[in-house]
Amino acid sequence: METNATEVLWWIFAVAIVGLSAGVVFSRSVLHSAIFLIGSMAGVGAMYIFLTAEFLALVQFLIYGGAVTVLILLALMLTRSDPAGQRESLNGAQMPFALLVGAAIMTVLIGVATATEWRPGGVPNKPTNIPLELISEKLFVDFGAPFVIASALLLVALIGAIILARQEEGE
Amino acid sequence: MVPLENYLVLSAIIFSLGVYGVLARRNAVLILMSVELMLNAVSLNFIAFAAYLDPDKITGAIFAVFVITVAAAEVGLALAIVIRLFRNRATSNVDEAAIMKW
Amino acid sequence: MGAEQAWLLAAVPAGFFLVLALFGRQLPRGGDYLGVLSIVSAFVLFIVVLVDFLDTPGKLGPVVNSMEWSNVGEFKLRMGTFIDPITITMFGVITIVSVMVNVFSVGYMKGEPRYFWFFAVLQLFVASMLLLVMADNLLLVYIAWELVGVCSFLLIGFYWEKRSATEAAKKAFITTRLGDVGLLIGIILFWRATGTFNIQEIIHAAEQGQIGDTYLFVSIMFVFLGCMGKSAQVPFHVWLPDAMEGPTPVSALIHAATMVVAGVYLTARLLPIFEVADGALLVVTLVGLTTALLTGFMALAQTDIKKVLAYSTVGQLGFMFVALGTGHPAIAIFHLTTHAFFKALLFLGSGSVIHATHHNQEMDKLGGLWRKMPITGTTFFIGSLALAGLPPLAGFWSKDEIFVALNDKWGAWAVLILGFAAVMTAFYTTRLFIRTFMGKPMDEQVHEHTHESGFVMTGPLMFLALLAAVSGLVVFHQVGKGLGFPGGITEFIFLPGEHPHRYHIDWGFAAASLAMATVGIWGAAWMYWGNSLKRSTALAEWNPGVYRMLKSKFYFDELYQAVIDRGVLGFSYLVSWFDRYVVNDTGVDGSAQVTGFTGGVLKYLQTGRVPNYAMAIALGVIGLTVAGLVVRG
Repeated sequence: METNATEVLWWIFAVAIVGLSAGVVFSRSVLHSAIFLIGSMAGVGAMYIFLTAEFLALVQFLIYGGAVTVLILLALMLTRSDPAGQRESLNGAQMPFALLVGAAIMTVLIGVATATEWRPGGVPNKPTNIPLELISEKLFVDFGAPFVIASALLLVALIGAIILARQEEGE
Repeated sequence: MVPLENYLVLSAIIFSLGVYGVLARRNAVLILMSVELMLNAVSLNFIAFAAYLDPDKITGAIFAVFVITVAAAEVGLALAIVIRLFRNRATSNVDEAAIMKW
Repeated sequence: MGAEQAWLLAAVPAGFFLVLALFGRQLPRGGDYLGVLSIVSAFVLFIVVLVDFLDTPGKLGPVVNSMEWSNVGEFKLRMGTFIDPITITMFGVITIVSVMVNVFSVGYMKGEPRYFWFFAVLQLFVASMLLLVMADNLLLVYIAWELVGVCSFLLIGFYWEKRSATEAAKKAFITTRLGDVGLLIGIILFWRATGTFNIQEIIHAAEQGQIGDTYLFVSIMFVFLGCMGKSAQVPFHVWLPDAMEGPTPVSALIHAATMVVAGVYLTARLLPIFEVADGALLVVTLVGLTTALLTGFMALAQTDIKKVLAYSTVGQLGFMFVALGTGHPAIAIFHLTTHAFFKALLFLGSGSVIHATHHNQEMDKLGGLWRKMPITGTTFFIGSLALAGLPPLAGFWSKDEIFVALNDKWGAWAVLILGFAAVMTAFYTTRLFIRTFMGKPMDEQVHEHTHESGFVMTGPLMFLALLAAVSGLVVFHQVGKGLGFPGGITEFIFLPGEHPHRYHIDWGFAAASLAMATVGIWGAAWMYWGNSLKRSTALAEWNPGVYRMLKSKFYFDELYQAVIDRGVLGFSYLVSWFDRYVVNDTGVDGSAQVTGFTGGVLKYLQTGRVPNYAMAIALGVIGLTVAGLVVRG
């Protein structure tokens, strides 16, 4: 892949991600937001490919782009609040402050990201390949215990979600 | 090639948009989506650091794996809570569920 | 079994106390026979210990037996027994008097409520006192000291249905407590200076000059404060006359053997320290003289026979402290012994009178009882003369010894003061006897129903009368030898490092002593002969102010009442005001109100809306980040 072509492609994706993310939070329709979210997540997955972490990109597409968004869409269907088509206000009373705070955090983060010298040891400013073998080795050897705990966490969350969402008698 | 700072700025923008969504929007599901945006930004940061600064250990990438795992669990639970909220109070707007106060 | 096992002496009555206290109610006759058995076995043990002690090869050396009690880091504590002639003598006094009191109580307390409880506490009382005199360290002394105090509290307040009895019990406990605090402070001061509680080690340290002069004086004075409280010396004497509210056998026990002599004993035990501390002996002497003199006056105007005896006890304790003030523990212990016998006799005799007259102890209603109660009357007569100090009865010898020693140590002025006190002792003792047993009855009705007490009560009286008559003779070398001792009592008890001296009669002092007793007895006889109050009434009317002052015991109670009313209660008001308005209203309620108020204001921050909380988190993150950037520059 040509260097320039990659950069151009990266910029296209970056702009798309920002636009889609903005769509998520600014869109009037919740359903549209969910669709924008799918796009945004897919974009981030593409970013993983730029970072040569293909496996993680795959995971991102499958779990975020697939499972999570489907869950969200289902929840949206179950919680339709305005069947009569009434327009209620999208934003809470503190929306202006939210804008300020968001801007402030963005300023701080961008400031830190650009002002910091990230490579004191002269590491080349280009991504290195993240091989799948290394990830699996790390995951199952070095991080074995957290991996098992995470599985337990998933199980607990699963059961908890079922109990919470279950239709109780008399409801 | 694209420098590291580009990724960091991109993730900062996504993160801030997520923050705005969480703080400003009323719909609980939408707040949840904003949280997902923030998590995505964080994961992107992790992997960028792993790829640029820590290629031998790739701890960041492992972190991203766990973030995704935990996020899945979180989404499942949070949506169950939203559904429960909607069933009890006929709304999914978080500022209308304000009984936990003085 | 020998002197090393002397702890059994205290353990046996203590065990019987537990048995009686727990099961006495169920036992037939309230278990009084167990009480007698307990004391008699203690007496038998005493005989065994005595024989073993006298047979010990190192003649009269102390027998020490101790065990490790606790060992915490640097702090080591050993508890044990220390048996020397003083302890042996105290053992004898305590056990003999207690046996008599126990036997007497079987008759006297018959039909009283809580009969078993009386005997139970009696055992504990004796056990504590025995423990006190055998303890080898001040900590154990203090424990026994407080046990004695508790027992006296329980027994004085035995008739707790009577308000005056509970008041008297409280008064005794609180008054002695004032001194006990001093004792505790003194013990702690000694521990701080020497790092040990062991009495002999402390004495050794004091004699070696390891304790600074002022420090030593202050510490020993604190200890002496405890002794003063326990032994009812002026100004702590107020509790003892009130302690008459207890059953009369208890009075006998408290006055003769168990409670009040504890202070004399402890002072005698620590006498080497008093001698090292400059001026301490003078303080002891002055306290003793003051007490002997003042209580002599107070006893003159009392009409309650037990109160007269109570004041005489305080006075005699003053004599003992004077004896200690001369630096001769032997004389003090000697007087303690003779006094224990005749005072127990007098109290039990008055108990017999009270029992016979159906609880009448006012002289104004008694009189002429000798014919009705010949045994009680005769034994009481012997006891009175012993107290007055007529030879050859017990009181004469010990008093005489005190005068001789006092003259040697402090000179004629002290002898004069004490001599005056001795005259008064003879006077009020005679007055007591005449107004109770001689002349015409003051109240025919009371006289009519009086009858002699049974043998259970007169038996102890007769035995004690014998002791009161002859116990003074142990001062003589031949008598002591005959009993198996190395000699007279002054050759038995002496401070380590001193040579025992053999007793010789000082004829001049003996004559003076006899003269004092005679003057007192004759004076009282002249004034009250035939139980007529004509002359005494005339005297009282001639100077009513003095009479009132004596009658009200120099206003000591009023003074204390005033101090308590004005001082203590005033201070209490201040404290209670502080407690109410500062501690309670400002401190406790105030903090609650402040909390409540701030909570009431701050609660509006809790909107219940999740976005607000999220906003707070976001603001916090920004704040922290900015702060971090600022700090790092």
